[in-house]
Amino acid sequence: MTKKIKPGHDSKSRVLSVFLNVIMIIFSFTCVFPLIWMFYSSLKQRTAFQLDIISLPAHPTFQNYIQVAQDKDAHIWTALLSSLRTTVTSVFFIVMFGYVIGYILARIKFRGERMLSVLLLLGLLIPIHSLLVPVYVVFNKLGIADTWYTLVLPYVAFGLPIAVFLINGYVKSVPIEFEEAAAIDGYNFTHTMFSIILPICTPILVTVAIIQTFACWNEFSFALVLVNDAAYKTVPLAMTQFTGQFNSNYPKMMAAMLITMAPIVIFYFAFSKKIIQGMVAGAIKG
Amino acid sequence: MFNSMIRPKKSTIFLLLFVPVIWYIFSVFVPLLAAFFYSFFDWKGGPEKIFIGFDNYVKLIHDPLFWEAALHNIFLVGVCIVGQIGLAFVFVLIIMSRNVHLKGVHRTLVFFPSTISAIAIGFIWSMIYNYRYGLLNWILKIVGRSDLQTVWLNNPKSVLVLVSIPLVWQFIGYYMVILFSAVASIPQELFESAELDGASGVQRAVYIVLPLIKNILVICIMLCVAGNMKVFDHIYQMTNGGPGTASNVLALYGYTVSFRQSDMGYGSAISVGICILSFIIILCTRTAVNAFTKEDNSL
Repeated sequence: MTKKIKPGHDSKSRVLSVFLNVIMIIFSFTCVFPLIWMFYSSLKQRTAFQLDIISLPAHPTFQNYIQVAQDKDAHIWTALLSSLRTTVTSVFFIVMFGYVIGYILARIKFRGERMLSVLLLLGLLIPIHSLLVPVYVVFNKLGIADTWYTLVLPYVAFGLPIAVFLINGYVKSVPIEFEEAAAIDGYNFTHTMFSIILPICTPILVTVAIIQTFACWNEFSFALVLVNDAAYKTVPLAMTQFTGQFNSNYPKMMAAMLITMAPIVIFYFAFSKKIIQGMVAGAIKG
Repeated sequence: MFNSMIRPKKSTIFLLLFVPVIWYIFSVFVPLLAAFFYSFFDWKGGPEKIFIGFDNYVKLIHDPLFWEAALHNIFLVGVCIVGQIGLAFVFVLIIMSRNVHLKGVHRTLVFFPSTISAIAIGFIWSMIYNYRYGLLNWILKIVGRSDLQTVWLNNPKSVLVLVSIPLVWQFIGYYMVILFSAVASIPQELFESAELDGASGVQRAVYIVLPLIKNILVICIMLCVAGNMKVFDHIYQMTNGGPGTASNVLALYGYTVSFRQSDMGYGSAISVGICILSFIIILCTRTAVNAFTKEDNSL
């Protein structure tokens, strides 16, 4: 592959640059085409879709959406609600706990400090899906499976190590003079920590929140084993059932898919720049 | 660290850390110990547990299904390292070219698949592979090769390759953006002086870009290995490990044994096995990568 081409006038480099542009456009297009295809197919009636899968709908209709939205067995709204609740609650605790631990590890020496770091590091290394069976067993024994907070417990714990790691690094870069000045002004420790340093750390807290929003919203395997009650099933779980529920009425299936995907897709395209930055920063530092 | 003036009381720190740390230990380490504990029992999920020592582990070592699934994982790791990181690198070189426009738009679009749930990705690709209404068979019909149309995910020989394509596709953009930020930080003068020395595009990519983004590449490879050792959702949605066990992976095997066959004791042993195997593979990759990059330095 050619790296840099002088913007010359010779035809060879012009052909090459057209070629490179075309490759990129095709690849970018394939990344969103399935979604576009699903969208306009979902506006077709079943028979129209079966006749021709690729053409644009001749008589676009929102019939499928109306039917799916009213379908009680599909649990679309309950799924969206429980995903929203689980995600918001989990992300809130991950950010708060991540900040508390990250801050204390960065600023204070205490007994058990090393121990805590090692525990967090282990949490990063353990492949969490190997905890699937034991978490299921422990949660059922204690009777905390199938409640609204069931998924919050593991999600917060699994998100915590990376959050602590990122926040800890950030706090270390904040000059300690802030706290010294606050102490001279008579602020106590917790006040300084939450009302002076916390706002300074907003950028990294936002990064952590973004990474964890996607992680929690999309998490599947723990939701699969821990939640049986339809009232607490999250979006990915509801999605797995569409195939059976709308038995090969594909346009309807796609409508259901798109409704449940909508929040995260809108969130992504609204804040894509910030989201990409955050995810990449998280990946590289993690 | 703080001087004594602002040093908080021990009890303050204890109170602040208490809930997060207990929460964390409860959700990660209690289950981990539980997995070890249960793996020594013959336990079908009921009230009856029989201690059988290392029998589950002996069974695990001789379990062809476990090793088959492990091989599938390793295959996916290999495909994804080449497919995701390799293609991402090529695309980054293309996108860095001065003549390619709409860089921001490309970035937003290619990153998009990596943000949606694996179940949705699995659904989309099931639709692509669908026999009667799938995009793939439609394309084959258009290009006049209807004879190649098939029930794509039903062939045990090709199913693993077919399920690896969505994985590669989903995360190319993710690695592209990571590599892009690394390549963008290389000083422009390096390229210019190399250009003056007559280095070709490929030479510049191999001798300038690659060595300079080595660290980021290593991070990408480790992410890729860890990500593919735990792959579960995509396969669950697309093939459920089938046909037969042709696309079974470790996490899915553990899930099937524990929850479909409700063999919790053996399932726990599999969990511990997956944990150990993942450690070993990650360690091996790290050693291999280190050895490889050392060689690179001596050049």
